[in-house]
Amino acid sequence: MSLQTSPLEAVRPAFLTRVTPVARLVAGMAWLVTAILTLDPIVPLRLAIVAVIALALWSGLPLRRIPRRLAPLGFAIVSLTVFSILLGASNSDRSLVALIEVGPIRITGAAVSAGLSIGLRVVVIGLTTLLVFGPSDPTRMADSLVQQWHAPDRFAYGTLGALRLAPQMADDWAAISAARRLRGIGSDGPASRARDLADRLLVMLVAAIRGAERLALAMDARGFDSGLRRSHFRELRVGWRDWLTIGFALALAIAALALPR
Amino acid sequence: MSNALALRSASESARWRTVDIVVVALIALAFGVVFYAWSTYVWVWLQPLGTPWEYIISGVWLMPAVVAPLVVRKPGAALFAELVAAIVAVLLGSQWGLDTLLSGFVQGAGAELVFGFAMYRRFGVVVACIAGLGAGVGEAIHDIPIYFATSSGTVQAGIAALEILSGGLVAGIGGWLLVRALRRTGALQAFPADQ
Repeated sequence: MSLQTSPLEAVRPAFLTRVTPVARLVAGMAWLVTAILTLDPIVPLRLAIVAVIALALWSGLPLRRIPRRLAPLGFAIVSLTVFSILLGASNSDRSLVALIEVGPIRITGAAVSAGLSIGLRVVVIGLTTLLVFGPSDPTRMADSLVQQWHAPDRFAYGTLGALRLAPQMADDWAAISAARRLRGIGSDGPASRARDLADRLLVMLVAAIRGAERLALAMDARGFDSGLRRSHFRELRVGWRDWLTIGFALALAIAALALPR
Repeated sequence: MSNALALRSASESARWRTVDIVVVALIALAFGVVFYAWSTYVWVWLQPLGTPWEYIISGVWLMPAVVAPLVVRKPGAALFAELVAAIVAVLLGSQWGLDTLLSGFVQGAGAELVFGFAMYRRFGVVVACIAGLGAGVGEAIHDIPIYFATSSGTVQAGIAALEILSGGLVAGIGGWLLVRALRRTGALQAFPADQ
């Protein structure tokens, strides 16, 4: 297992990489809320189309990597859509015309439309996540949260310090698994697998706590918890790009909701 | 112990040390790594059951919200742990990222409220179980309108019930058992959970 940490992908400089992360977060949340607000599939569809254009033109992410990164969502999109269509509330509404009626299964056009809106919601979530978190690394996100939203700096940078250990934790997990295999501790059947998961989780948590103690000691030795006011190594400034991004996202969200179909 | 002394020690222990911050973040990270590694296995034997039944084990995803507060015993630990877990999910390449921030917030808040009602003084199995249920309620509040808005009321109620039940059993009681096992290993000596 390989864990990519910061940055998620190599990005080339682009419009969105120059926008501060918090501005991207606000814009992304506005879209997320818009996609959730309605059960009309046209709204998330419009947002998804604009998101794809934005990803291609302004995100700086390599285009050929994008389908692979969205692939894990594919299963969720398909299963949620099928599930919503099959079990839609409007299927039992006798006043609506059924598209398909086979035995106990009855599917109305309203249920198909509602199911598509749920599936497209997930598409919008996936694309917006890429637009918000793709163009820069967690360090800049932490900088942005602390400087612009005045998030508590000890928490932001403490978390950042801990996240640096992600690849090491993945190695720990591999080592734990290898050690258990070597000792012949296997698992078959769901109950034994659950037991196995709990055992390995425990070892992982011990490793996490030990790691946290060492890291905290090192950070405190460098005055992390000195109580002095922290200055900033990378100054972030809110510029016209941030306001343009938020304004553009809001305008598109309103347009997606309000435009006639 | 007199009441005044108890209050004083409670307010002092409300301050987060560096090690508390880092350990909550690392607990969330450890869960993130394990979920990432396990999702392949879990999916394989849950897929045939269909979408709703996967919610039987949904409590596993709420574990950080119970385990982290049980270890550090600080106000805000549940909320902080779930938010870090959401960030970890983004780091590991989860495309649910943006929505995970929302769901992490409501789930963490559900557990946080319960620990807050117990005045951050009680961390036994009962409070842990109720906190797990609280996180499950938060999960249902998030999931139902977003992913199951179009389903019939029965389906919605069924999914909510599974999520809440799983939160109480897997995250609540399971999380408490994990922390008890952790204490026995001696790993918690730097934390108030080691009593």
